Amino acid sequence: MAKKITQNEFERVCAPGEIIVKEGSPGREMFIIRSGRVVISKRVGEREAELAVLGKGDFFGEMSLLEGQPRDATARAAADTKLLVIQPGGLLIRIRRDPTFAYEMLQKMSGRVRDLNAWLVRSMDTGETTKVPEATRTLVGFSLKGARED
Amino acid sequence: MRTDVREERLLVISDLHLGNPFSQASHTLGGFLEYALERRFNLVINGDGLEILQADIGTLAHASAGVVSGLRRLLEADRRVYYIVGNHDIALEHLIGSWMGDNICPFLNVRSGDQRIRIEHGHLYDPFFFKYPRLYEWVTKMAGPFLHVRPELYTFWIRYQQIKRGFASLVSRKGTQQPTPFHEGAEMLLKRGFDAVVFGHTHKPEDLPIAGGRYLNAGNWVKGGTYVEIDHGEVTLKRWDPKQLTG
Repeated sequence: MAKKITQNEFERVCAPGEIIVKEGSPGREMFIIRSGRVVISKRVGEREAELAVLGKGDFFGEMSLLEGQPRDATARAAADTKLLVIQPGGLLIRIRRDPTFAYEMLQKMSGRVRDLNAWLVRSMDTGETTKVPEATRTLVGFSLKGARED
Repeated sequence: MRTDVREERLLVISDLHLGNPFSQASHTLGGFLEYALERRFNLVINGDGLEILQADIGTLAHASAGVVSGLRRLLEADRRVYYIVGNHDIALEHLIGSWMGDNICPFLNVRSGDQRIRIEHGHLYDPFFFKYPRLYEWVTKMAGPFLHVRPELYTFWIRYQQIKRGFASLVSRKGTQQPTPFHEGAEMLLKRGFDAVVFGHTHKPEDLPIAGGRYLNAGNWVKGGTYVEIDHGEVTLKRWDPKQLTG
């Protein structure tokens, strides 16, 4: 069920268990949780691994909005949940009127890069990973040459 | 830098403008800081705590000495003090940061009880500030010397703001208070999962229901003495009375 909030944003109400977005499916909008809870999960081999449980004020789906790529994970409502749905054009208008939202998005993505850096260093230390894919190096700002010399 | 915290007991004060000739904060704030210490509250200074746009560093250092001692007593008693940057103290961000460490921030998202509260100075929603930032800074700086000669000009400015708001309400179709850009900014924040939004900047204490949540303005300590108290999720706008001190 969707209800228009402003010209650029609308509200979606989800029942417990309802799939909001499915891994691999196309999508260009992001979501902010106005109330309720959302479980983020991802397929790992044959099983579904739970990555995070998000609550009021948290957001998800921004990767598909920013890159236009299919969903990277599945999001499912874990309770009665109200979401604010934002499209790419609407994001720019929100940032113009609510500039700290951009700051919070960057903060979250910076945290992810930091976690990924730490994971990469741990994996290389334990010998699980010796070859870092180019895309990952670009993402984490890693110098492979420097890392090898270390 | 921390922008997300859990705090059960918190006091929020805005717009002290320490160093500005029209500010009475250096005389009135001491008792309030003692009250925070006595009642075991943590503290948020929600922007424009220090004045550098309209005052020189010497005047600022002199005017803030007593308040800094009060803040030090809070910190020594393991109370937390957060400093949110406003538009009159942004040039001092690095200096304040060297003292406050992680607790200086551009805004603060507080979880208290089951409530999510945004505390922010609010200058980003001031149309004059974001449309004409250079002119805003120039006009504010130019007003500085006049305020040093005639501090009562501040009272005239506040009166002018009140008349302007009253006139806008009068000519509006509904004859009621029209939403200001600050109310609209708060509404944008409330729509993304906050229960209450606390601004400063306008110097006008307010408590209004907006978009299913609440907009509060902590007012000022220039001539006033209002603050917002957050106690286990309950958010209240209050006026400081020195009789609140029991010690």
